[in-house]
Amino acid sequence: MRKLLPLLAVVCLVALPAAHAQAVEPKETPALEEAVKAGTLPPVTERLPSDALVIRPVELGTPGGSLHMLMASAKDTRMMVVYGYTRLVVYTPDYKLEPDIAQSVDVEDGRVFTFHLRPGHKWSDGQPFTAEDFRYWFEDMASNKKLYTAGLPEQMLVDGKPPSFEVIDPQTVRYSWAKPNPLFLPTLAGPDPLYIYAPAHYMRQFNAKYADEKALDDLVKQYRVRNWTALHTKLFRPYHTDNPDLPVLDPWVLKTRPPADRFVFERNPYFHRIDPAGHQLPYIDTVELVIADSKIIPAKTGAGESDLQARYLRFDNYTFLKDAEDHNDYTVRLWRTAPGAQLALYPNLNAENPIWRQLNRDVRFRRALSLAIDRHEINEAMYYGLAIEGQNTVLPKSPLYDPAYRAAWAAYDPKQASRLLDEIGLTKRDSSGIRLLPDGRPLEIVIENAGESTEQADALELIRDTWAEVGIHLFSKPSQLDIWRRRVYSGATMMSIDRGIDNGLVAVETPPDEFVPTTQGQVQWPMWGQYIETKSKSGEPIDTPDAQELRRLYKAWLDATDVGERAEIWRKILEINARDVFSIGLVAGVPQPIVVSNKLHNVPEEGIFNWIPGAFFGYYHMDTFWLTPEASSQASTAPSKG
Amino acid sequence: MFHYIMRRVLIMIPTLIVISAVIFTIIKLPPGDYLSSYIDTLRQSHEAVDEQKIAFLRAQFHLDEPAWRQYLYWISGLIRGDLGYSALYDLPVSQVVGDKLLLTFIVSFATIVFTWVVAFPIGVYSATHQYSFSDYGLTFLGFLGLATPNFLLALVLLYFANVKFGISIGGLMDPQYLDKPWTLAKAVSVLKHLWIPVLVIGAAGTAGMIRRLRANLLDELQKQYFVTARAKGLSPFRALIKYPLRMSLNPFIADIGALLPHVISGAAVVSVVLSLPTTGPMLLEALRSQDMYLAGSFLMFMAALTVVGVFLSDLALAWLDPRIRLEGGVTR
Amino acid sequence: MTGSPRVIAEPAEQLPHYVAPEPFDPHSVEKMTAEQERYYLASQWRMMWWKLKRHRLAVISGAVLMVLYASILISEFLAPYGLNSRHDDFIFAPPQHIHLFQDGRFVGPFVYGYDYRLDMKTLKRVYTPNPTKVQPLRFFCHGDPYWYWGLVQADVHLVCAADGGTAFLLGTDRLGRDMLSRILYGARISLTIGIVGISISFVIGLTLGGLAGYYGGWIDSLVQRLIEIIRSFPELPLWMALSAILPVNWSPLLVYFGITLILGMIDWTGLGRAVRSKLLALREEDFATAAMLMGASPRRIIVRHLLPSFMSHLIASATLSIPSMILGETALSFLGLGLRPPITSWGVLLNEAQNINVVALYPWLMLPVVPVIITVLAFNFLGDGLRDAADPYR
Repeated sequence: MRKLLPLLAVVCLVALPAAHAQAVEPKETPALEEAVKAGTLPPVTERLPSDALVIRPVELGTPGGSLHMLMASAKDTRMMVVYGYTRLVVYTPDYKLEPDIAQSVDVEDGRVFTFHLRPGHKWSDGQPFTAEDFRYWFEDMASNKKLYTAGLPEQMLVDGKPPSFEVIDPQTVRYSWAKPNPLFLPTLAGPDPLYIYAPAHYMRQFNAKYADEKALDDLVKQYRVRNWTALHTKLFRPYHTDNPDLPVLDPWVLKTRPPADRFVFERNPYFHRIDPAGHQLPYIDTVELVIADSKIIPAKTGAGESDLQARYLRFDNYTFLKDAEDHNDYTVRLWRTAPGAQLALYPNLNAENPIWRQLNRDVRFRRALSLAIDRHEINEAMYYGLAIEGQNTVLPKSPLYDPAYRAAWAAYDPKQASRLLDEIGLTKRDSSGIRLLPDGRPLEIVIENAGESTEQADALELIRDTWAEVGIHLFSKPSQLDIWRRRVYSGATMMSIDRGIDNGLVAVETPPDEFVPTTQGQVQWPMWGQYIETKSKSGEPIDTPDAQELRRLYKAWLDATDVGERAEIWRKILEINARDVFSIGLVAGVPQPIVVSNKLHNVPEEGIFNWIPGAFFGYYHMDTFWLTPEASSQASTAPSKG
Repeated sequence: MFHYIMRRVLIMIPTLIVISAVIFTIIKLPPGDYLSSYIDTLRQSHEAVDEQKIAFLRAQFHLDEPAWRQYLYWISGLIRGDLGYSALYDLPVSQVVGDKLLLTFIVSFATIVFTWVVAFPIGVYSATHQYSFSDYGLTFLGFLGLATPNFLLALVLLYFANVKFGISIGGLMDPQYLDKPWTLAKAVSVLKHLWIPVLVIGAAGTAGMIRRLRANLLDELQKQYFVTARAKGLSPFRALIKYPLRMSLNPFIADIGALLPHVISGAAVVSVVLSLPTTGPMLLEALRSQDMYLAGSFLMFMAALTVVGVFLSDLALAWLDPRIRLEGGVTR
Repeated sequence: MTGSPRVIAEPAEQLPHYVAPEPFDPHSVEKMTAEQERYYLASQWRMMWWKLKRHRLAVISGAVLMVLYASILISEFLAPYGLNSRHDDFIFAPPQHIHLFQDGRFVGPFVYGYDYRLDMKTLKRVYTPNPTKVQPLRFFCHGDPYWYWGLVQADVHLVCAADGGTAFLLGTDRLGRDMLSRILYGARISLTIGIVGISISFVIGLTLGGLAGYYGGWIDSLVQRLIEIIRSFPELPLWMALSAILPVNWSPLLVYFGITLILGMIDWTGLGRAVRSKLLALREEDFATAAMLMGASPRRIIVRHLLPSFMSHLIASATLSIPSMILGETALSFLGLGLRPPITSWGVLLNEAQNINVVALYPWLMLPVVPVIITVLAFNFLGDGLRDAADPYR
């Protein structure tokens, strides 16, 4: 059994690309024909790697056109890296890992990873993409204490030890650990990726080890930074897309220098994917991001100013957008979101106040609170009944799903809730029917939230009434985001409301870190998370048996070597979470409106719009979206009013 | 006169220093700093927190040093003309503020012009036809502009302008002209978008100005010299223009100094709603994320503008009105 | 002509003149008719009131404001529904019109019941008034229970819906709450914020302006610099910063007072300056000098002699500042800095209406702007009238 996994992995990851050998004849990209004729660009056969990745789109498209999208701040340019979803390995819509930039990946024992690059693969400026780029990152950046003051990223450390890195040949690199590293590949395939490579030919000029001292000094002065390390860090931020000169491997390359209110991305002439007809991807020539205030984006979308919009559109905008379909050239689709819960209540197990601490840690209390919520009413009132009711756990589409997880303590049963509360000892009530705490104060739960969405305020309104029936007074306290977080971390809050787990579509290979104490950001046990995150420097050690068990299971998952073992661990983790109701989920699967211009094709009718694992539009291959040819002339003029 | 000027200039300096200290305190007051709010936003969008970037930023912005030292860093930069580095935009402040300032001035200037152009004839008409129907009617209209919360008005106008006239929603120009050099087409586009913010922001100011003009003019119209002028046989119109109007213009000149920062920031709320690329929304964002340099330097800039503006308008008033000069400086 | 009749012998002709036969009574010229007496002996306040009465618009505004403020006392009684009552079946229902006649007969005020349908294509809730569902409104009826001022439990309402019917005269919001009721409850907060805020700014302005004007010298300089510093601050960041100071764990009531304190503390400068300049001028007057010579303490001079001479002017200014407080609260709530749900104020209601969905699909949610406009207008007209009346030179 132990030997099976690596074999399976090797077979999986090697077999696929072998089928995509260069059987297609590449065609020249129409938009780049002029440049090729003028000699400024090499012809397409030289721009593609010798083993270009063939993507089979839903419909073969025509290259050309300009896509417009709306974003709310200059920082959102990073969405192009997310939507472009070009990684060493990527997830497919059925949650399998596939090589993308890498031609193939060999995994041995889950601890030795060998990446084979595509010969002839080039950066967006035409320079070769080779093992040197990996070496530069590993030795001259990540291992350089000046540049990476905190050391290697966590996902590259096993038991705190870094891997040994070897360059086998210009197209092959190898990372070896002593023990299995199950986090490595999923992180490489993440929506905000782990970059283990950097354009060495470009970055060298900013590195004191290679650059001429005088020239480097001049550059430091020119960019008005403190020293060369600041310069180097500032210019290599591929995820932030703020440096138009930085060579990248993404389908579209930033051409506008910030600050700007409108960012233009042009196609990457050296992109490594093609379609079965031989057209080099992406189909779309340019992507324009117009920056507007987030509150106004639904209005602008409804006026037809975006060809593809999902970000900053919420479910309650659907009716307005659908109405506006009549005098605009788009359709609104409803995809699903995939957090474990859209809204969930988090009793703070690390609350400072001893009475609340004790109550929150009593599982009967949490169960009672959960039973006293009418999720159906919330669903009907706020989501027209289209959401999925249940706890904050995996969604039906996940391979680990079990209906029992979602249904655990999620029915609306005020009688049982009352009984549980009586059992705990909260039997006395005051004149308005609210139960009294042991010290005589009324049972008033203050739920704090970041005050950013009306959704949360509305849900709390609805919960207030049902909780009042069992004698609990809910008091909602909106606040500011950072103030809220600080209060949670310090234990000052008793309960908060927030989104549920990010990834409700986990699979066996997905790290279960959202279900166990791992980071301070988990508002149900911030102190425990902090303790883990800071490696015991601050926070509190875990002191309840169930949470300790979760932590133990997590470590076991990291050390496990075969699929079956991992699946079993996952099941246990999900069971404990369902049984203990650490977070009280309300509804999940809230529909997400996606506005798609009628000129844009290959966008699925139905899909999942989620950060992880899908990278939003990422794993639907935005590079295969294409525009009807007339759009190329109309799209760059004023937004048409019908 | 010279003494008066010297005294005012000398007083200005400590005023500015105190203002800078107050600004610094106000920005630093909410607990935490830029980095903690940055980390929080990262967590909220479930992105990985890059430890080494945090450490780097912390050092670059001196956030690990005591408050008074941070203040000195900032002030010394300001005196040298260096507005600092914005943590939020990751660019020098001057670059961030740069062309937003131009657009802000365009909007503010257009608003001021609109206010005067509208308020003047209405005010004069109201004063000369006191208690008539049109007086009541026009004053009522002016008040209506004053009373409506302008952010709501902005949103409604935005929507109707889009539905009825096809003007793109928000912003100061059609999206394809953004960041492009100025052409006739771009100017036309800006004009088409300009009327909504000018109308919304100017509405409130217009009412105030009508009232003031009316009151002042009414005062002047009762004075002896005007009655004499009419008795002499001067036509009502000429009599009006020649004497009372000039006297009633006094407060306007005095107001300019205080008007400027008010228009720049008072327009902030409307700019947020209309998504205008002006300094208002930028300031709001900077304050929210406690970007010390961007918010602080910009506020300092605006405060200095006001102080200098008030000084200049006081100067203008002193020049205009001999009484102030001779009495040696009691301003209003 | 007084004195005994005397004939002036002139060489020319005699000029006829009339001489009264009765002896002269000195009191006759001093006696006034009752009306004249009232006029000349009237106090300053009474004169103001007379002048004010002539300004019709101001009088109407005053009446309107009194009605508005009086309604605060009985909001629970006036509102058809309770503050928190929700109706899950009537989310985003448009306003129901009141009809009086049915089939040509006068039936009394009633509304048509709604038929509800969810359009699955657009996910829009469609409400159609059904003419067969006649729901007469009840008056002085028993409706949602409430705590009158938090003390007494009652459930009498002025207007309620028919039994089992609905009476959403201004529509409902996204949780099915009646807008008319919410506006009536919101008046409590919005109207009182202005009053409380203006009191604070009044006190500060009077004190500081009075001290500066009376003592002059370095106190005056200091206060003037302080005023200049506050005025040169753009108000928005000042609001933001001060709102950020308010601790989050305060109860909504404390937050409310905190907000009014902030508004008051920023607003006093105008008043302070007016007081200062008036005092500077008035303290040179004879009556002030006389009081000083008689040994009155500065405080007595200021309070008893100087202030009353321009109190009317101050009151007019104060009245004119209230609208800016109310608008300031709405702006702050809009920015998310002021009051927030679950407190209900007009600003909070407008904040919830601040998106394109509302403008395009549910415009009745913007109705809270109407009472805001009315209140602000009323205060402006009243303030104008007061100022005109207080001005002694007209």
